[in-house]
Amino acid sequence: MHEYAFFLGCIAPNRYPGCEASAIKTSEKVGIKLLPLCGASCCPAPGAFGSIDLNIWYAMAARNVVLAEQMDRDIALICNGCYKSIYEVNHILKHNDELRDGVNEVLKEIDMEYKGSIDVWHLAELYYDPKICGVDKIRESVTRPLTDTKIAVHYGCHLMKPRKERHFGDSDHPMWIEELVEALGAEPVQYRNKMQCCGAGGGVRGFDLEHSLDITNEKMINLQEVGADALTEVCPFCQLQYDRGQVEIEEKFGIKYGLPVLHYNELLGLAQGMSPDELALDLHAVDCTPFLEKIL
Amino acid sequence: MAENKEARIGVFVCHCGTNIAGSIDVGAVAEYAKTLPNVVHADEYQYMCSTPGQTKIMDAIKEKDLTGVVVAACSPRLHEPTFRTASAEGGLNPFRFEMANIREQNSWVHMHDREGATEKAKDSVRIAVAKASLLEDLIPKSVPVEKAALVVGGGVAGMQAALDLGSAGIKTYLIEREPSIGGRMSQLDKTFPTLDCSQCILTPKMVDVGRHPNIELMTYTEVEEVEGYIGNFEVTLRKKARGVMFPDEAEAKGIVGGGCNGCGDCAEVCPVIKGNKFELDMAPRKAVYINHPQVMPLIYTVDFNTCIKCGLCVEACGDKKAIDLDMVDEFVKIKVGTAILATGYDLFPIENKTEWGYKKYENVITGLEFERLICASGPTGGHLIRPSDGETPKKVAFVLCAGSRDNTGVGKPYCSRFCCMYSLKHAHQIIEKIPGAQPYILYMDIRSFGKMYEEFYYRIQDEGAKFIRGRVANILEDATTKNLHVYTEDTLLQRPIDLEVDLVVLASAVQPSAGADTVRKLFGVSNSQDGWMLEAHPKLNPCGTTTAGVFLAGVCQGPKDIPDTVAQAEGAASAASIPIHMGQVDLEPYFAQCVEEKCAGCGMCVNLCPYSALALVEKEGRKVMQVTEAKCKGCGTCGGFCPGGAIRMQHFTTPQIVAQIDAFLLGGEQ
Amino acid sequence: MAEEWKPKIIAIICNWCSYAGADLAGGARIQYPPDIRAIRVMCTGRIDPLFIMKAFQDGADGVLVSGCHFGDCHYLEGNYKAAKRMFLVKNVLKNIGLNDKRLRMTFVSASEGAKWAGVVEDVIKTVKELGPSPLKQFEK
Repeated sequence: MHEYAFFLGCIAPNRYPGCEASAIKTSEKVGIKLLPLCGASCCPAPGAFGSIDLNIWYAMAARNVVLAEQMDRDIALICNGCYKSIYEVNHILKHNDELRDGVNEVLKEIDMEYKGSIDVWHLAELYYDPKICGVDKIRESVTRPLTDTKIAVHYGCHLMKPRKERHFGDSDHPMWIEELVEALGAEPVQYRNKMQCCGAGGGVRGFDLEHSLDITNEKMINLQEVGADALTEVCPFCQLQYDRGQVEIEEKFGIKYGLPVLHYNELLGLAQGMSPDELALDLHAVDCTPFLEKIL
Repeated sequence: MAENKEARIGVFVCHCGTNIAGSIDVGAVAEYAKTLPNVVHADEYQYMCSTPGQTKIMDAIKEKDLTGVVVAACSPRLHEPTFRTASAEGGLNPFRFEMANIREQNSWVHMHDREGATEKAKDSVRIAVAKASLLEDLIPKSVPVEKAALVVGGGVAGMQAALDLGSAGIKTYLIEREPSIGGRMSQLDKTFPTLDCSQCILTPKMVDVGRHPNIELMTYTEVEEVEGYIGNFEVTLRKKARGVMFPDEAEAKGIVGGGCNGCGDCAEVCPVIKGNKFELDMAPRKAVYINHPQVMPLIYTVDFNTCIKCGLCVEACGDKKAIDLDMVDEFVKIKVGTAILATGYDLFPIENKTEWGYKKYENVITGLEFERLICASGPTGGHLIRPSDGETPKKVAFVLCAGSRDNTGVGKPYCSRFCCMYSLKHAHQIIEKIPGAQPYILYMDIRSFGKMYEEFYYRIQDEGAKFIRGRVANILEDATTKNLHVYTEDTLLQRPIDLEVDLVVLASAVQPSAGADTVRKLFGVSNSQDGWMLEAHPKLNPCGTTTAGVFLAGVCQGPKDIPDTVAQAEGAASAASIPIHMGQVDLEPYFAQCVEEKCAGCGMCVNLCPYSALALVEKEGRKVMQVTEAKCKGCGTCGGFCPGGAIRMQHFTTPQIVAQIDAFLLGGEQ
Repeated sequence: MAEEWKPKIIAIICNWCSYAGADLAGGARIQYPPDIRAIRVMCTGRIDPLFIMKAFQDGADGVLVSGCHFGDCHYLEGNYKAAKRMFLVKNVLKNIGLNDKRLRMTFVSASEGAKWAGVVEDVIKTVKELGPSPLKQFEK
């Protein structure tokens, strides 16, 4: 069993608890144990906090890392935004003595010290890495294949970019999450401009909702063109933007899409036989029933 | 090689205007020099390299009976020859001169520490005086120069250089690794700004090269090995197996009226089809092929990597018996006095800039592919078509600086120089050929620097090309129409744009030819920081290299357009012809010498010499080492090793170097 | 303020690469501290280990040897031979109680002016951290 300290973030536990439940249960089936990481705070949201004060961003993220260092476990998380904060800050502080010393000055006040002793991983990359799990193992864990469904993938921004500071290869035409979707028995579909942002991040959803929905709408148009049954992503914030966002787009622009949006963990949960109840799919703003009818 | 009588050194400290005087107290240094042992004369002057400056040296040599001269000024790499000549004119052996570099390695790099710089200058003078006190008379060795030259690369640069050398009466070997000369220029359709047909203006030169009595053209040939030095290069060439005989080769084998006449009967029957590299794989060729009808020489070539040796071509060739499928590579040794490298360029693999979708989206092509498509002798007979459906594009986006001026670490940091101009030319061509065509030039800057280039830019603007200033962020393909959506920002209007076009042309960056690195190392030529071959001096010696007798021409030294390429080729040819015309060249006498009394005959130095210049010989019943001066390049590798101190390196002797070390560390103000 | 100790560092550099690179740094006006004096040889292969020992014996605090990159030596292999000798000298220095970091060999090409400046800065910094050469106390 590969053990990790599970960093939850904010949106999953508060809005889509199914993401949390599915992450824990599906990982266990493929040899990954997610241990509770107690006392964690907001990652902090990279766009919102990072735009205001970088020092706060470093310190808060470092504190979350220290909690895992105290458990002597690497961190696994399920959100692109959390990934940017925690992975990047961990990486920066490991290589910049001055910044690290500055952060430790702050952490001293709460009796903590950042040591740089652990690594940070997105659960999706752990699923993909054959040394930890791998696409084949995912396929083998599937008991209810999502046959005859067309699923589009939204990669999001902070997972793969900036390319120089990531290790996921080509950020213009990636296909690895499609492989993970295929392993569930579904058919991944391509759509125009799949790498465009969902519109939520960078503080945009918080500061200018309509503008962010404009961006989301562009993606919805492209998704509608290819007739996807569902959209999947690996970021609860993207999920919020697409899910609640479709309801908001209907309210503000009068367009209804009705495209179910599920986190990859939720899809994997369904494919491994978890029930819609266990996954709290009824908390989704866009009704998942049309998709569920195809697979149940 | 007289040992010094009592050393009498003259020191001259240069102000170099404010270049040195601005950071260093020159007067103090000159005064300090007077206090040094062996110094009988010390002076300072504004510009020592000027006539009055040099006259000071000459006068002092005579008046003060100097045995050595030290000039504290710029780098010896710049003016050592100048002052050696001045010393010689003053009656002193030119090798009794030493320079202290107090500019490039002092005043220019310590501009904010006058005290530190001045102290360092004094130390440098002290070091130089210590060496000068031990210098001796040396005579440069004169070697004869082989009356032949080698040009590596048969593009327009190599061809021009070969023509100039040949016309100057010098036997010139022009070697080219492709089956035909012509290089990149023969792949172009039209040339800016005159809009001449490229192959049309090139063909006369190609023909001239082919029939010039002094040019020996060897195509499908590469450099295998280089030995020797200026005046006496021994180059081994690999004549790759062509599989096809020239008429004279066939004659030599007794086949009367035989050899290839370019009829093409072989290619007609050949069953193997491959991509034609000349056409950038947009057209097929057979395993036995010529790239295009105007090749020089007009001889077919068998690509042995893909030939299946079915023999159908041999049958088709009939009585001419030109094809020999058992041919193997042949090695030829030539002797030349000088060499010119003209290896040209390749395109940067622009698929590495994944955001633009080259090789992913069919309708994204490079500038060179555009040339072939629009060229009447190209794969589509000059009809510009979209690769996806063969339709004629109307809206075409030209992405400039694609992969150039790129500091992300993926592309090249430099400007590729001629892409702005050829993109303007391309825009003109589609306006001219395609009714209703609309070119979009997506640029960062328009660099129209040359003669009549700015006027050409006005013309293209007037003809209706649209110019959008911004870096293209992203290109996406419409899955149904295969049109491209070009996402960029119009920075002048300050808004983002989604431009839908039928075809995208990427003006890709250029980089040194594959294999250029191997060739330059064979000739001892260095790289510049940007990867192109290093010239001797970027301003004052752009055709030369630091290896005597080796010169550079064309894009291999840095991106440039055709006029600059031809100009540099002519310059390189001129420089390369000088030693040949003079008939002899002086080698710097930094040779190794064996001090026989100390030599134990162990022979370990013999293996150290990379030029095989050392050998053990019998002398008076014992073995001692002997130096072949013609082969010795004076590197000192043997001298640095000999445990018995039996090897003396002229002008860099152990006593001289130790004197320099002692002078710095033990001398100095107490 | 007491007079700050100024390190005595000697550099022996090859004509074709490192000396040219150092000149290039000058041409580009890249600034670096003046605590280094350069001696020119045609090739680092010329450097007899005894030169280095003499320098330390004379009281040098640091010695820098700089030549062409491997594969680019103007005389083909001189830099390889020099590198081998420097490893030998470093061992000798360790044996006589001198920190072998006082001897440094670097590879700077004719086009690497900025690199030369960086190398000099780094060597001076290293030597300053190591302090004056312990051999100085034996100076007469």
